[in-house]
Amino acid sequence: MSTAIEVSGLTMSYADRPVLTGVDFEVKTGEVFCLLGPNGAGKTTTVEILEGFRQRTGGTVSVLGMDPRAQSARLRERIGIVLQECGFPRQARVAELIDSWRAYYRNPRDLEDLLQVVELTRDRNVQVRRLSGGQRRRLDLALALAGDPDLIFLDEPTTGFDPESRRRCWAAIENLRTLGKTIVLTTHYLDEAERLADRVAILQGGRIEVAGTVRHVARQARVKTKIKFAAPERVLDGSLAPPRCLDVVVSGEVAVCQTENSATALRELLGWAAANDLGDLDDLSVETPTLEDAYLELVSGGTN
Amino acid sequence: MFTFALPIALLLLIGSTTATGYLPGTHVESQMIFVPSIIAFGVIVAAYVNLGAKLATLRHDGVLKRIRTTPLPASAYLSGVLASTAATTLAITACIVAIGAFAFGAVPRASGLPEIAGGLFLGVVCFGALGLALSSVAGSAESASPIANASYLPLAIMSGIFDPTFPVPHWLSAAVGLFPVRALAQILQQGYTPVVHAPATDLLVLLAWTAAACAFATWRFKWH
Repeated sequence: MSTAIEVSGLTMSYADRPVLTGVDFEVKTGEVFCLLGPNGAGKTTTVEILEGFRQRTGGTVSVLGMDPRAQSARLRERIGIVLQECGFPRQARVAELIDSWRAYYRNPRDLEDLLQVVELTRDRNVQVRRLSGGQRRRLDLALALAGDPDLIFLDEPTTGFDPESRRRCWAAIENLRTLGKTIVLTTHYLDEAERLADRVAILQGGRIEVAGTVRHVARQARVKTKIKFAAPERVLDGSLAPPRCLDVVVSGEVAVCQTENSATALRELLGWAAANDLGDLDDLSVETPTLEDAYLELVSGGTN
Repeated sequence: MFTFALPIALLLLIGSTTATGYLPGTHVESQMIFVPSIIAFGVIVAAYVNLGAKLATLRHDGVLKRIRTTPLPASAYLSGVLASTAATTLAITACIVAIGAFAFGAVPRASGLPEIAGGLFLGVVCFGALGLALSSVAGSAESASPIANASYLPLAIMSGIFDPTFPVPHWLSAAVGLFPVRALAQILQQGYTPVVHAPATDLLVLLAWTAAACAFATWRFKWH
């Protein structure tokens, strides 16, 4: 698999204030890559450098084999950018606007195709100002796709959306993935990253804290798997102690066991239950760490 | 529409009362001054007020920022905007010239064509550049039009655009002469009737304002 973006040793300072202090990562062709991080971590700066809007202070950056700043005009032909809070001309209609945008590119994508990818075919003659927030976002996407780009940057694509609009926007993004497009996503929603991204990178304090698949990131963060079950009566009244080798905490009527090795812990737990005639443990569930758990662990040093 | 309506309405309304007879103490027919003055007014409304407000709105709405994400070079986009402004200006001018000729009998001199063509070209460039500068000064889309009107209307009145006999003190007249409004009007007036002005000075004033506006727009123009 080839590489769409390669960043190494990227640094950026604004008037002596360092924002990026050595960022390294790469994005493979055809993957959805998500850049995460707290506000002020340098996400926007990083993306703007990749898009060619900003001159980096140091390091090497290659986007589709080009230097984004030095070859920005050529690069723009092959990338699509969805910015936050970007308006439309006031009088325009959906299909007209997309069509006028296609004229800015040498090899535009077919109009009907664009309308279909973002599910706006039925709204093609609607005035842009009459569109809902979700529809406007999908129109944003259509304009970014007008030049049939190989690489798409999405900046917080679903901020402020209701669940239904989010799902439709996600569906549109997943459509893009099936077209083989490379996508770089920034978002505040960890469930969105988890749902859409093949790989994530967490940017913190001007460098990449960790990068990889969600599972890899969770492992790096050493977030434990939670095994929950209804605490048996004998545990609640104190006559039976939970297995000593496991870290079990009873809160209310639920017992929670935290572990880094869920298979061993489960075997241990079920053995303990059988040995003490507890039968099947009620409401037994295994919760693998979510990206959110890992993120919070890495970014704020953990919540527990 | 309003861009067309305003100069033409003023042409008809004011013209119907003042565009007859000779200017006091001269052999110059007043419509020969008034009609080209309104042409200058049309240029200012289309190139300065309209373009400034349009760009401020496009910037406020984030359309300029979005344009920047496409391969279209910035210079190509701005040239396109200026070209459409020039087209609007030409259309307004054509209407004013036609109405001036039919309603008031004001026809440009055959030998005045260079002044009219040159004046229009320089006027669009100068006030277009000022419109670009204005859009960068205006803090919001809503403030662009009021700022535009407040800046050119008093000058237009002092410059005698609506009434060539408008009395102003000598020092004020000298001050007004430093601004491009009267300079443009006087160049266009030369295209209608040979009046004794200082065409070289008018030309210099227009060029100086064009240079200053371009420099300011380059320095301050923002895409978002």
